[in-house]
Order: sequence, then C-alpha cells, then structure tokens
Amino acid sequence: MTANWPQVELDAVRRLRALAAGIPGAVVTERVFDRPLPVVWELMWDDGRSFAEIQPDMHAITDLTVDGDRVSLHARSRYGFRAHLQGTVRPGWCWLQSRFLLIGMAAAEEPGGRTRVALTGGVRIPARAALVPIGVRRESTKSLDRLQELVLRDSAG
Amino acid sequence: MIDDPERLVRAAQGGDTLAMNDLLDQLTPYVGRICGPIALGNGPDATQEALVAVFRSLRTLKEPAALFGWVRAIAVREAVRVARREGRQVVAELAELPARGDPQLAIDVQDTLARLSPEHRALLVLRDLEGLDEAAAAELLAVPAGTAKSRLHRARASFRKAWTS
Repeated sequence: MTANWPQVELDAVRRLRALAAGIPGAVVTERVFDRPLPVVWELMWDDGRSFAEIQPDMHAITDLTVDGDRVSLHARSRYGFRAHLQGTVRPGWCWLQSRFLLIGMAAAEEPGGRTRVALTGGVRIPARAALVPIGVRRESTKSLDRLQELVLRDSAG
Repeated sequence: MIDDPERLVRAAQGGDTLAMNDLLDQLTPYVGRICGPIALGNGPDATQEALVAVFRSLRTLKEPAALFGWVRAIAVREAVRVARREGRQVVAELAELPARGDPQLAIDVQDTLARLSPEHRALLVLRDLEGLDEAAAAELLAVPAGTAKSRLHRARASFRKAWTS
C-alpha cells in the first residue's frame, strides 16, 4: 500500500536553496527566464563555454574532463588567477568548488514553459564550507544579467 | 566519490562542499518519502525546509552513524509544521498530486491521507513506512504512548474504511 503514498521530487532550485543554507555567507539569487529549461541550461553550461562567459571575472576554462556527472576543470580569471574546480554537473545542476572558489547553479521548470534560475557562490574561506560575505549578491546578479543577455541574443536568433 | 553516508557527513562537517552535495543526493529521496505523505500538496516546501534545517545544523550532528534517525526527526517535524501552516490549501491541491502505480489507488491513498490530521499522517509514516514501534514514534512526536496508540488506531480505521467503502 505504501508504494502509492505521495513522494516528493525536489527540483534543482529547491535543492540549491537547501545546500546553500549549510554554507555561511552564501546567498541564493534567482530570476525567471521566459525560455524553456533545455534552452536556458544550454546557455548556462554548454560544455563550459557559456559557463565561463556568465561567471564574473572568469576569462577561460581549460582541461575540462567529464566522467559521468563528475567534472574537473581549470579556470583562469581576467586578472590571471587560476582555480582548479571540481564537482558535479548534470542538466539543471552545477556544483563546483576549488580551494578558494565555490560556484552553484540550478535551473528548474516553471509553469508556462519558463525557467527559474538560481545562483550561489563566491570566494570560499579556504577549505571551509563558508564564503567571504562580501559582494556575494552583487556577483550573482552580474551573472544573471549576463545570462539574460545570452537569452535575449538567443531569442533574437 | 564517497558513497558511505557516515564518511560523507564527516567530510561535509570538515568543510568539503562536494561531500555536502553528495549527501544532498542521498538524503533528498529519503526526506521526500517522509514529507510527501505528511505535507501532501506542500511536500516540496516541507522537503526543502527539512533539508535547509538539516544542512544548517549538520555541524551539530555528533554521531554520523545516527544520520538517518536525526534526519527523520527533522523531516517529520518540518512536514507537520508546514502541513499545519498550509492546512487549508492541502485538500484543494490534492488533484494535482502525481499519481504513482495504479492511478485510482494512488488517488484513494491521497484522499484518505488528506482526511487525517498532519499528526496522524506522521504516525502512519513512522510506523508503516519507517517501521518504528509505537513507543519510538510517540517519543519522536513528543506525545504520550497512549495518545500515539489511539491516533494510530483512528488513522488505520480511516484507511480500512476507505478500502472497503
């Protein structure tokens, strides 16, 4: 009988809110885009290409390796800093950390063929599950603005 | 990748956010299985709030071996709280719940659950899904054993009535 009891499938945005709650200093910034999930996710990740485009101060990524949903990559900032990011990427979900960086992205379907995007992350207090609480919301908002530009460009064809 | 939940908890408590991510993967279906039947249409809210509470206080978990019991207690508490808060909306949203297995049977289960109070649903979950005995379920819900027994009797009677009507 219990096989028919209601169960919950938690979407990626709700999962990101839960995970960020365990990281002091983390802020989740959200925006709804008027495009379907697969389109928005392609613009958010695209094998790391658009990922580098929407992350603040990220210039390029190299050495991307993928093993199932496990990902490893090297990121270089515009100011020459380098980070070795490792973590999990799957459709609608990205969670990456290096010693000094944390990046979380989630996307989930909204009614009417729209997509809710949630971002978190920032400068990590080295080797700790905590962020330096300076400029966190501003950086995420910048990323959402860049994603918005990509969405508009994509919609314009 | 670490699969063992106890090792994941230790790594997460040590500051590894990738371990937190893997722990989230392991805990989400478990928490959803508890929150769904108690919070019904508000199951996603309850599951999210339970997981928020879990990750906020993960550092305070002294015995990683007790992880699932600790998470279960948080999930039941949050599900009852959300179901009470949103009580009026639950029944209205029942028709939108996804049906699993036999659609008609699933609707019957949801309909019967919706006629019970959140506390009654919590008792059924702890006894029938989680396999706790009455004393342990009563302790987790902070009610006297006699109260738990009578609530469980009423909850099961509601189910029997639904199946035979």
